[in-house]
Amino acid sequence: MAAGVAAWLPFARAAAIGWMPVASAPMPPPPHDKRRSQEGFIILNVSGTKFQTWRNTLERYPDTLLGSTERDFFYHEETNEYFFDRDPDIFRHILNFYRTGKLHYPRHECISAYDEELAFFGIIPEIIGDCCYEEYKDRRRENTERIQDDEDNENGKEMTPPDMTMRQSMWRAFENPHTSTMALVFYYVTGFFIAVSVMANVVETVPCGTSFNRVKDVSCGERYALAFFCLDTACVMIFTVEYLLRLIAAPSRYKFVKSVMSIIDVVAIMPYYIGLVMTDNEDVSGAFVTLRVFRVFRIFKFSRHSAGLRILGYTLKSCASELGFLLFSLTMAIIIFATVMFYAEKGSNSSKFTSIPAAFWYTIVTMTTLGYGDMVPKTIVGKIFGSICSLSGVLVIALPVPVIVSNFSRIYHQSQRAEKRRAQKKTRLSRIRAAKSGGANAYLQYKRNGLLADAEEEASKEAGKALVCKVNPTFETQHHHLLHCLEKTTNHEFVDEQTYETSCMEVSMVKPSTSRSSSVSSSPHGLTSCCSRRNKRKSFNVPNSNMTSGRRGSVQELSTIQIRERPLTNSRSSLNAKFQETMPLNSEQPPYITAAIISMPTPPVTTPEGGDFQSNIVRVSAL
Amino acid sequence: MSHCRKRCKRQLIKVARYFYRFLTGTLTQDSIEDDFELSTVCHRPEGLEKLQEQTKFTKKELQVLYRGFKNECPSGVVNEDTFKIIYSQFFPQGDSSTYAHFLFEAFDTNKNGSVSFEDFVIGLSIILRGTINDRLNWAFNLYDLNKDGCITKEEMLDIMKSIYDMMGKYTYPCMQEDAPREHVENFFQKMDRNNDGVVTIDEFIESCQKDENIMQSMQLFDNVI
Repeated sequence: MAAGVAAWLPFARAAAIGWMPVASAPMPPPPHDKRRSQEGFIILNVSGTKFQTWRNTLERYPDTLLGSTERDFFYHEETNEYFFDRDPDIFRHILNFYRTGKLHYPRHECISAYDEELAFFGIIPEIIGDCCYEEYKDRRRENTERIQDDEDNENGKEMTPPDMTMRQSMWRAFENPHTSTMALVFYYVTGFFIAVSVMANVVETVPCGTSFNRVKDVSCGERYALAFFCLDTACVMIFTVEYLLRLIAAPSRYKFVKSVMSIIDVVAIMPYYIGLVMTDNEDVSGAFVTLRVFRVFRIFKFSRHSAGLRILGYTLKSCASELGFLLFSLTMAIIIFATVMFYAEKGSNSSKFTSIPAAFWYTIVTMTTLGYGDMVPKTIVGKIFGSICSLSGVLVIALPVPVIVSNFSRIYHQSQRAEKRRAQKKTRLSRIRAAKSGGANAYLQYKRNGLLADAEEEASKEAGKALVCKVNPTFETQHHHLLHCLEKTTNHEFVDEQTYETSCMEVSMVKPSTSRSSSVSSSPHGLTSCCSRRNKRKSFNVPNSNMTSGRRGSVQELSTIQIRERPLTNSRSSLNAKFQETMPLNSEQPPYITAAIISMPTPPVTTPEGGDFQSNIVRVSAL
Repeated sequence: MSHCRKRCKRQLIKVARYFYRFLTGTLTQDSIEDDFELSTVCHRPEGLEKLQEQTKFTKKELQVLYRGFKNECPSGVVNEDTFKIIYSQFFPQGDSSTYAHFLFEAFDTNKNGSVSFEDFVIGLSIILRGTINDRLNWAFNLYDLNKDGCITKEEMLDIMKSIYDMMGKYTYPCMQEDAPREHVENFFQKMDRNNDGVVTIDEFIESCQKDENIMQSMQLFDNVI
């Protein structure tokens, strides 16, 4: 429950007047206000800077240092104030959190200092408001990366987990060559051979001087054919071995075979084998030799290790639409100008503009400002349009370049921001879910506390192990009393999802045939939804388990810690034989859930419950 | 006539501004500036002494109430959406928007679509500091949706459904479809003396005064604040 609306609790309780005449059962007695009207200032002296606030403001968050009795440790008798020897600038933000319910992160502060202050005052950083959350997470990530880098430099790389299979370690060596020296050696060897084979392809075509019985120059490839053939064989051997090793080590071979890199590998080594097969047919093997050019694409394998190259490739892929549009608009301009030039030059007799497609060449050369000069217009009209063509060519070519550049930077920043937003959304949703279910769970916990003799004593006893001392604040008890009144008015009780489903299953088992068929066909509430929701139990439990990870949190979170630590002895003993069949339901739950059965001797709807609702219902809820 | 001319002039200026923005390429900024003028509605309540006369709260209580009110509604008035949002935070499991709507209607005495601090505090004063009869009157006013002086079964059914909606889905025992209706039947059996299908204010007060439970629960509100 947000702090701001705690002030509206009196209104909500007053609004319950609408339920009173309607209720058929008497209302529970109101809670005692043990600490009446804690009005008054609290003076907080933080390293000499005095802050003043109402007492109630601080007590909105009873699980933090300032809201709980932990602040009494800092009470200074002589001056009647609370003294903290901490940073007053950061404290300002912390105090604002109590006032407004939103925690802000000041951009100029050091992230570790801020984190320390938050930890000291018992505030979890996850509640930082959306306005500052991105910045906070960025700085935090930078900080952890910096720390991580420092640690890596100190320790060296000893991070191999010992229990990896041969295949997994091989794959890891292929993917990250800097993990082990063997992988690094392999990486450099293959890189060297790639370079060697590319160089060999290039040098093959260089003319190498005349042979003794030929007139014209022969290329080096023909002169030293054997040497080049041996070199080529060696390279292809290496590439084949590498490809096969990668294929063996790949965790998903099908996915590996489909990937771009493996296709390039295959294309690189195929021509050699095909050339081995058909050495007699001259022109076909010539065509396949050209395919060896594809081996140059091996250089793209380096993109595995460079993030910038990856982003560049991704940009080009995602800019495909812009590039396509550029191409399309260029084509349009070319066609327009080629047509115009053709008809303009049609009059001149020795014109090279024999057809519109022939004029395409002129237009392209002019628009890209190449100007080879093999085709020039001779008529005046042609020259005029030719100059317009070259001027517009400059514009048309120059326009898309900034677009692509800005696209690149946009995509780069977008990928960063999308990741941040996704992480934020997940935490935000889980926070909302946690708060919602926490609010309900707090009430259920309160009801259970009401079963035993002294609620507060029990809570503080159990919570003795917890990190922060907490006492149920007045507005929580009042809120719970309000929910209790609602239960009495409607003669139904709040339960959590678990119990609801088990009770539904009982109901459906009691009335087997009719209800089951109706539940399959229609969907009011109750029967179908609980049956269909069995699978979703886990999703309800996950936020709770996140909350019970031992962190300090709000009252709701701490109350779930209490629920988990509560012993089960009193509940299991009252197991009815009739409900044995619901046991298998609970046995399949994951281990952190405490299973529960509800036993109800009489239906509660008609009998009015007195103040003594402990005897009728023994209730243990599962989380 | 001058009004027409003024409007024409304004339109012309708007068109000229549009073309200017079209040429200079700043067309899209128009819409943002217009939105800023709407949100600075502010309402200040009457003085503390006047409110003290009108309600039965002490000065300190009024101060506390106002501070809480102003925190959630800095503009000084609550509109129905804010009202619903605030109320729904107390009932996370169910849907409290219908009941909040009825409450809003009951608090908004001058029917202007917003609840000011005066309305708020006067309503609270009746509920928390009024006599039992005052409270019963207020409750009757809440139930009587069309404010015609009598509660019909349909009105009561709406109210009952809204209350049951607040419980949400996860209840024990499972919520049946006809639970509100049954409850309304019980209510009418108890309240409707002359069995004419409606409950008037006198029947309501009389029946409530005869019921021990209701009388006792009315006392709950004595020390809410």
